[in-house]
Amino acid sequence: MDKPSHLSVVVDLSPSQWHLCGQSSNSHPLPLSAFLSQLLAFLNAHIACNDENTLSVYGALPGKSILLYSSATAVPEEFTGPADPNTYRPFEVLDSTMMNSISDRVEALTDLEQEPPIGLVGALTKSLCYINRMSNASSTSTAAGGVQGPVVLPDPRILVVSVSPDESSSYIPIMNSIFSAQKLKVTIDVCKLYGPESVFLQQAAHLTGGSYIYLERPDALLQYLTMAFLPPPAVRQLLSVPTQDKVDFRAACFCHKNIVDIGFVCSVCLSIFCQPVPVCSTCRTKFPIKTLQRLNASKPAAPAPRTPAPTPPATSLPRSQSIGTPRSSMGNGLVAPSPSRNGTSLPPR
Amino acid sequence: MKAIRGILLTCDSAVKQILLTMNEKSSFIIEDLDDYHVVIKADEEWRVRQELDAELEKNTYSLE
Amino acid sequence: MAAANPDEHGDVNSEASPHALLTFLQSQSQNTLSRLYQKPSSCLSIFRLLGPLDRQLVMNLLWLDSAIPASTMNAWVTREGRKPYEASLGILSRLHILPSSPVKLALNPTFKTSLRQAITGGGTSGSFGVPAGNDDKHTTPSVEKLDAYALERWETILHYMVSSGSGRYPAKPSQGVLLLLQRSGLMTSPHGAALQITSSGFQFLLYSPHTQLWELLLQYLHMAEERQMDLVEVLSFLFMLSTMELGREYSTEHLSGTQTAMLEDLRDYGIIWQRKASSRRFNPTRLATTLTSSAPPLPTTSGSGGTTQSQGFIVLETNYRIYAYTDNPLQIAILNLFITLKSRFPNLVVGAITRESVKKALANGITADQIISYLTTHAHPQMRRNKPLLPVTVQDQIRLWELEKNRVKSQEGYLYTAFASQADYEYVLDYAKKLDVVLWESAARRCFFGSLEGHANIRGFIERRTAGNV
Repeated sequence: MDKPSHLSVVVDLSPSQWHLCGQSSNSHPLPLSAFLSQLLAFLNAHIACNDENTLSVYGALPGKSILLYSSATAVPEEFTGPADPNTYRPFEVLDSTMMNSISDRVEALTDLEQEPPIGLVGALTKSLCYINRMSNASSTSTAAGGVQGPVVLPDPRILVVSVSPDESSSYIPIMNSIFSAQKLKVTIDVCKLYGPESVFLQQAAHLTGGSYIYLERPDALLQYLTMAFLPPPAVRQLLSVPTQDKVDFRAACFCHKNIVDIGFVCSVCLSIFCQPVPVCSTCRTKFPIKTLQRLNASKPAAPAPRTPAPTPPATSLPRSQSIGTPRSSMGNGLVAPSPSRNGTSLPPR
Repeated sequence: MKAIRGILLTCDSAVKQILLTMNEKSSFIIEDLDDYHVVIKADEEWRVRQELDAELEKNTYSLE
Repeated sequence: MAAANPDEHGDVNSEASPHALLTFLQSQSQNTLSRLYQKPSSCLSIFRLLGPLDRQLVMNLLWLDSAIPASTMNAWVTREGRKPYEASLGILSRLHILPSSPVKLALNPTFKTSLRQAITGGGTSGSFGVPAGNDDKHTTPSVEKLDAYALERWETILHYMVSSGSGRYPAKPSQGVLLLLQRSGLMTSPHGAALQITSSGFQFLLYSPHTQLWELLLQYLHMAEERQMDLVEVLSFLFMLSTMELGREYSTEHLSGTQTAMLEDLRDYGIIWQRKASSRRFNPTRLATTLTSSAPPLPTTSGSGGTTQSQGFIVLETNYRIYAYTDNPLQIAILNLFITLKSRFPNLVVGAITRESVKKALANGITADQIISYLTTHAHPQMRRNKPLLPVTVQDQIRLWELEKNRVKSQEGYLYTAFASQADYEYVLDYAKKLDVVLWESAARRCFFGSLEGHANIRGFIERRTAGNV
């Protein structure tokens, strides 16, 4: 039989966004309850594919992230009662564990005027840690002689189901997660249900070889999930899965966490700034005054400080870039930036 | 035309040579077809295989 | 059906042969399958036995209410996916899961309803087993106890097989098991004497436990057909067992007559555990719950000391020496099939692969590949650091010894010679070629060698021809 695979799901559970998403004024509303039942069917389908498939589900809540379900933990006490003869036991345990932990958490949420930012990064990082621990556990226990048969690392994948807009302050942690995922050979898939296109998650999917799908019809969620996100990487070579043809490669600056179309890149450490700075805040490199003056003169209109700009107007500078077209030198003697980042470089003083 | 009942042996040319030598002692070959095929008498097959095995065994050496 | 080689990648591109049970199901009538597909647990288990691509195709169609054009599905298939895709469609249509149609694709409605129900839960089928209520008198047996029971049963069967040739007879399995072993051709009793292991029995011993289990169950299914048992009932019960939870007690009250009758057989194989034959409750063992999984069905091979030890216990060195860290009589007996044992310690057996030992195994019908795959599967974790796992010299030598055995190939038949004319020769040869019985031919010597089966036909042909000429 084929190899088992591991799936980690990160579910965005932002109450305000789900409220908006479920509103009947949308062309295809998807209330949270309908979403959860379709998600559970998808999770069951993943377990159904192979008895040894593993699963972990992390919820991203305002200001925190929690583990909702993990197939590695033992069945909790409350499930030792009589089982339902009409349901496959692991599905029953999965479904009730998920629903219980979600309802516990949602009830515990305090009714704040201002919702703290969603803990998406936390959930993503925890998923990566989970996968890392799993891969290490299987290799160390082999050395000790505990594992039966050869080591089979389950093909790990992460699926992010997102409804919230990008949090520009999370640019750096998300980029770091992407790099860790690349190193662990984890594929990150993104299913965007509601809200504006997510620049960061597009990059995450693109850089890890996953797929990013913005659902046109959120009410057909289950079909999307099944066709695009259920197949493990090996099957995706045979049945193609949609990938985005355009990836928004814009970055957020390190100084004000704004998403910038054109930024200024430190030529030493590649930190990104939305305006020319005399000293790099990351590596303390000093830049010559003359360059600063020249750059200031050529700078486009200053971005409004501290306002995240998730959807800049389409008329602004190149919003989306086709994959693999690094922007070459920008004239007036500036250093060409690295391909994955936009902007101009500041020569060190 | 005629049809002769027998057993077709397919072998490598080294084994074929051993078979020819064995045939000189007691004849069992009906027809020598080519380098890799001979037809032998059907009731001689078991004896030929035994002798051949014994002959081939002389060419193997073991550690013990 | 060869034992899986774990060194090979679980690549979906490689044309892995479908599970043995699927081949059996494909030979069943559509009516049988439709009745089988009424149970959600059966659908779930069959679904799990399918290949990865087959499963994905089923899933893609599962939630659709209407048929989709075949061209739509086709558009998803990549260029390298063409051939596997066609193969998958073939398997699914032979199983009557996805009726083959060049225009529209839609799942078998019964299968679709049941699999949907399996995944979403609910319904009233009770196909995942009705748990027994609390028992005040007895406590539920622990998982360890069930494992020990399953292992003891299973090893009794294997041990009986392996020692049948040696004259020593350990504990005898039940009459039902013996009959099954005999019917499956794994053992035979020449002239009514005591049962002897056959060449396919020797091969069977080297399979993985999962393959062994299914091999016996398939044979059981064939026998069930002859015993006029309802195949659908038998299969649904096996599938129900495979979806049950280890360590939970189930009630026998909702089982049909056929299924109640099966309890005894399954108890003998170690697939279920019952306190006593008349008990109204039963526990599935790990053998049952891993039927549709690739997890090892037997937890640990416990020796006399009952110590847990991993499956890997063999260290093979480049000098053909083997160190097997085991005190399990069954494992030692199996090793004895193809190695020369030298010395034995409380937890260690030392031996060597020699030409004689391998020749003995080959004479028993075991192939070189089976030996190599057994050594690979049971290699000690220490060996796993080596790349390749087994020393190449040893692997090659085992294969060479096999080749050596096959230096002479013999085929019985007739030599046709002394033809009157070239035309005569060609005419007869042409006819023989059409029958596909020509083993060797030479136009220069004007003779050819035909197999035994073709002789009657050829003789008739020549006689008719001579008669016609006269």
